[in-house]
Amino acid sequence: MPSKDLREQLDLIRSIQPAIHVPQNWNYENPGPMYKAYMHPPHDVGGQFDVPVYYEEKEEEDWELNTYVTCEVLGWRGAWTAEERRRRADNDLGYTLYLGMPYYARWIWAAAKMLVDKKHISLAELQEKIAEVRSRYEKK
Amino acid sequence: MRRLGPGMKKSKTGHSPEKAAATGALFKVGDQVRVRDMPYMFYTRSQMYTRGVAGTIAALTYKDLIPEEEAFNFDGRIEQYYIVRFRQKDLWPGYPFDNDTLQTECPHRWLEPAKN
Amino acid sequence: MSHTHSHGKPGADTHHKAAPMVEEITDYEVLEIAVRELAIEHGLFTAEDHRRFTEWAESIGPAAGSRLVAKAWTDPAFKARALKDGVKACKEIGVDWAEPTGVGTPSDYMEFHVLEDTPTLHHVIVCTLCSCYPRPLLGMSPEWYRTTNYRRRLVRWPRQVLAEFGLILPPEVEVRVEDSNQKCRFMVLPVRPKGTENWTEEQLEAIVTRDCMIGVALPKPGRTADVHPIQKARRPVESSHQEAK
Repeated sequence: MPSKDLREQLDLIRSIQPAIHVPQNWNYENPGPMYKAYMHPPHDVGGQFDVPVYYEEKEEEDWELNTYVTCEVLGWRGAWTAEERRRRADNDLGYTLYLGMPYYARWIWAAAKMLVDKKHISLAELQEKIAEVRSRYEKK
Repeated sequence: MRRLGPGMKKSKTGHSPEKAAATGALFKVGDQVRVRDMPYMFYTRSQMYTRGVAGTIAALTYKDLIPEEEAFNFDGRIEQYYIVRFRQKDLWPGYPFDNDTLQTECPHRWLEPAKN
Repeated sequence: MSHTHSHGKPGADTHHKAAPMVEEITDYEVLEIAVRELAIEHGLFTAEDHRRFTEWAESIGPAAGSRLVAKAWTDPAFKARALKDGVKACKEIGVDWAEPTGVGTPSDYMEFHVLEDTPTLHHVIVCTLCSCYPRPLLGMSPEWYRTTNYRRRLVRWPRQVLAEFGLILPPEVEVRVEDSNQKCRFMVLPVRPKGTENWTEEQLEAIVTRDCMIGVALPKPGRTADVHPIQKARRPVESSHQEAK
C-alpha cells in the first residue's frame, strides 16, 4: 500500500498535467489549427493574453548564479551554444515544465539533459551523483 | 559582421554564391517585406505574431547561422539578418494607436518581398 | 537589503571553500552541484573557468549603462559614435563586450545597439522568446523582465504595461517596442529631461536607472531608484552586483 506521501505525490503529478486533453483520433475534424497549436514552440508567447501583475525584483540565489555561470562556461568551452541552451530550456522541456519550473531550474535541467544526450555522462551516473550530493547534507 | 563566439564552429558551408542565389539578393533598408508563413516545428525564433505581416527593413545587422540550425549544432546555412519594423496596427486587430511600431529581427529565409 | 552570510559552496574542486550546510538544501541546489561537479570531473570545464566567469558576472551592473547615457547627453560626438557602433562606444566607458572569453559571452554576443529616444519616439525593450538582455552593459535582467507575463503583454499592449510602470505617453508619441529575439542586444538612450541643465555627468548618471534604459521609466531629477517589490533569497549571492541600482 503506497504511503501517504507517495499518494500525495501522485496527486500532485496528476494535477500539473494539462487541464484540457483533446486527444485527436480519426476522423480528424479541422486538424490544421490543432496541428499548428501542437507544433507551436512554447517559448513564442508574444501577444498571448495575460493579466496585470505586480512586477517584482528578485534577489539572486547563490545556486542561481552558479547555474548561470555553469551554463555559460559550458558554452565557452564548447559543450553547447546558447542557442542550443534556449532550444532545450525554453522548448524541448514542454509546457508544464516551461510554465512551472523556476527560471534557473530550467537552465540547470537543460544542462543536465544536454550532458546526458551528448553522452558526456550517463543518466545512471547523474542519478548516483545526485544521491551522493544529497547524502552529504543528510549527515548531521 | 559575424564574430565567432564561444562554442561556435566556423561553418563549412558558409555564404556561398549558390546559396546567395537560392536566397535571392539581400534586402536593403527601406524595402517592404513580408514575413513568410513557413512550416515550423521543434524550434524557431520567428514569432507567430509576425507571420504573414508586412513591414519595412530598418537595418541590416549581421550574417550568421539560422536559429533552426544553430540550435541543433548543425553546421549549416549562414544568412543575412535584418531588423524589420512593423506598424502595431498591422500586427494586432483593433490596435488603437496609429503611430506605434514594433521592431524585431529576422533572418533572410523568413522574409519575402511584399507587394504593396 | 539583507546580507545573509554566505556559507560558501560545498563540493570539491570548486573555487569556493567547502562548508557544512546549516539548513535544508533544495533539490535545485543539489542538481546544480551535481552538474557542476560532473562537468568538472569529465573535463568539460575547469573550476578556474567557473571562477573567472563568476568574477565577470559579479562585476557587471547598470552603472555602466548610466555612464554611457550621461556621456551621450553631455558629449554629442560620443553620442554619434554610440549610435553608429554600440560595441565600440562601450569600450570608451570601460565595457568590453568581448569579456571574459575574448570573443564575448555565449549568451550576449557582440551586436549591441543604442536606441535613441526623441520627444516623439519612445523605445521599450523585451525579448518575447526568452529574456535576452545586454548584460555586459546593464548587468543581470530584473526578474519581471524574464516573466512570461511581461513577454506576452508588452508587444501587444505596450501602453497598458507602461502605464502599470507609471509611464503614460501621449498618443502622438510613437511607442516602439524592440523585440530582441536574435543576437542583437539593445539599450534605450532616453531623452535628457528638463531641469538637468549644467548638471555634471555624475549627477546625470544618478537619475539614469536600469528601468530607464529598458524603456519602462523616464529619467527625471530626483528619481534615483527603480522601486519594485523584492523577493528575498534564502541563500543570496553576496556580491556587489546585487547592490547595483
